[in-house]
Amino acid sequence: MAVAIAAARVWRLNRGLSQAALLLLRQPGARGLARSHPPRQQQQFSSLDDKPQFPGASAEFIDKLEFIQPNVISGIPIYRVMDRQGQIINPSEDPHLPKEKVLKLYKSMTLLNTMDRILYESQRQGRISFYMTNYGEEGTHVGSAAALDNTDLVFGQYREAGVLMYRDYPLELFMAQCYGNISDLGKGRQMPVHYGCKERHFVTISSPLATQIPQARGPGYGIMSIRVDGNDVFAVYNATKEARRRAVAENQPFLIEAMTYRIGHHSTSDDSSAYRSVDEVNYWDKQDHPISRLRHYLLSQGWWDEEQEKAWRKQSRRKVMEAFEQAERKPKPNPNLLFSDVYQEMPAQLRKQQESLARHLQTYGEHYPLDHFDK
Amino acid sequence: MAVVAAAAGWLLRLRAAGAEGHWRRLPGAGLARGFLHPAATVEDAAQRRQVAHFTFQPDPEPREYALETQSPLPRNFEMGQTQKMNLFQSVTSALDNSLAKDPTAVIFGEDVAFGGVFRCTVGLRDKYGKDRVFNTPLCEQGIVGFGIGIAVTGATAIAEIQFADYIFPAFDQIVNEAAKYRYRSGDLFNCGSLTIRSPWGCVGHGALYHSQSPEAFFAHCPGIKVVIPRSPFQAKGLLLSCIEDKNPCIFFEPKILYRAAAEEVPIEPYNIPLSQAEVIQEGSDVTLVAWGTQVHVIREVASMAKEKLGVSCEVIDLRTIIPWDVDTICKSVIKTGRLLISHEAPLTGGFASEISSTVQEECFLNLEAPISRVCGYDTPFPHIFEPFYIPDKWKCYDALRKMINY
Repeated sequence: MAVAIAAARVWRLNRGLSQAALLLLRQPGARGLARSHPPRQQQQFSSLDDKPQFPGASAEFIDKLEFIQPNVISGIPIYRVMDRQGQIINPSEDPHLPKEKVLKLYKSMTLLNTMDRILYESQRQGRISFYMTNYGEEGTHVGSAAALDNTDLVFGQYREAGVLMYRDYPLELFMAQCYGNISDLGKGRQMPVHYGCKERHFVTISSPLATQIPQARGPGYGIMSIRVDGNDVFAVYNATKEARRRAVAENQPFLIEAMTYRIGHHSTSDDSSAYRSVDEVNYWDKQDHPISRLRHYLLSQGWWDEEQEKAWRKQSRRKVMEAFEQAERKPKPNPNLLFSDVYQEMPAQLRKQQESLARHLQTYGEHYPLDHFDK
Repeated sequence: MAVVAAAAGWLLRLRAAGAEGHWRRLPGAGLARGFLHPAATVEDAAQRRQVAHFTFQPDPEPREYALETQSPLPRNFEMGQTQKMNLFQSVTSALDNSLAKDPTAVIFGEDVAFGGVFRCTVGLRDKYGKDRVFNTPLCEQGIVGFGIGIAVTGATAIAEIQFADYIFPAFDQIVNEAAKYRYRSGDLFNCGSLTIRSPWGCVGHGALYHSQSPEAFFAHCPGIKVVIPRSPFQAKGLLLSCIEDKNPCIFFEPKILYRAAAEEVPIEPYNIPLSQAEVIQEGSDVTLVAWGTQVHVIREVASMAKEKLGVSCEVIDLRTIIPWDVDTICKSVIKTGRLLISHEAPLTGGFASEISSTVQEECFLNLEAPISRVCGYDTPFPHIFEPFYIPDKWKCYDALRKMINY
């Protein structure tokens, strides 16, 4: 069982696509390899045939003893459009995205980066309890988000906030969730960075990871797969666009493995220098970063310059700081929201517990931080 | 993160490219000091950082536990050389002792090689080698499945599940394989040398997936033992007993105590018996039962009861959830006539319900008041509402007061 290789954190959209956009039609008898074969008719059983008779197997016999090398990890090539300096390698792969779209990609990544740095610092100062940055992985988020329709349902894991940023999730709501304040759509129930937004079709993030990793690679499951350079926004875009088109047209899932590198620590509870070298981190930060590669592209197109860079950096920092200060001042939600949404309807026993807390607070309220919570 | 790219091993020493690091700052680097204005007043900052709901109290010495080398138990034994250790250090010490004397013992789990996310395995890989302390993929089902496998061959398997909240993919392995191995094989085979360790319980900001206390799920499973320590000294002795016990054990470590609890702990190995509750304070009017962090909460409640109500409480640390020490609890309730049980886990189906049910069967005529359970609410564990959710000393005190006045 491919348990051992489930360690590779595979970012994929196929669940979202397959659940939101199409039914997964399994064609009878078509296991293993390409689903592009037409459906097999039920074979007439004939014991005269020397071929394998195992139901569902389409393989031939072999008389040579040979183990199959699990070389899949090093074997699958990585699709890219830009080199590390942001230059298009093969012009026919250039998606020719309009200027506004490329600027939107760039600004989403950089605004996310600015927000990350400020919120990471704020955790260090004890203002929020926890935070996770997205450093280095921004390209996978926005490249894929840009290739989807805004109504495509996304099931993200905790390091994919760029999808929300691209979909114009307001800074106020990012902050509200981190602060668990009264504006948090999640009602203050989850740790920071567990964002969700029904309006933007982004399913609320949860912490557990093992529930979200496919237990085998795409080919092992008979899923059409591609590996892309996740730090190349155009490669991610192209692959996602094509995967989506075909998934909808052909009614089958597509697996995109976007290779990237997590530059930041796992979270504010982690110091990654304990298990990796600073040199390695520096390489990715300076030599192969999705934001700088896209910026090189923008510069070479004449769509961006140092002036705009300076102005944007200032503007984005100001926007984040404003949202941050406002979020910090808001009260937390009413403690009654501790009890709602466990089920769609509140069970009687739970209502009794809610009432007992209310009574308890009447007598012992001075021992609780009620001043910070909505009345 | 692409494991392949990161672990590829081609760590090239490259000179830094041009200075444009603006958007690519390494975490925490580069922001000017005071970029964020610090909290307005010291009080504000303190209020933002949640004050702990308990105060750790080390047990007074001496203690009545055997050092491995001594038997039978002397009344006041020598603890031998001790060292001040916090909870994670006492765990490391137990693991170190295990690997030293048992050549088949191995430790594995996510991130244990560099020392673990809570530092419980620091130094062990360097000391015992990569064959004995190693990482696993991010796959709890595999961690436990693998642990069962090597335990069946006779090795001492010490598995770590990074947070108890993530133990559920391994639930099938624990319940359907580990717990039933001896029984289903007619005692031909067993995985008794398996121990699973996992951080457990509330931590102030852990929310749904870093705060859970899942002992009740496992209490319903005959064949495994579930053990929860309240302190570093208890942790080392209980963990060593779990590792040496001939049955698969789950050892839940209260994560909020990893650094907050520190006391003198013997350097040499010692055992604290499983399935024995401990009366840590004798009393005559009410029996208070808890485990893990909550023991410190009810200890404080006992002081409050004495001071405000003149009530004398008997405080019991259950320690082993299953098989649990019915006799000690019942003996106490027969004496006091009143029982209060408290745990962070939700009320319904929580382990207090098992204790309550058994005690009313065994001690019905001794009870002066209904048995009281002060527990978490029947909701997932919330983030910002944690101070309202947990069964803190005020809720326990209030329940106790009502029992006294019943």
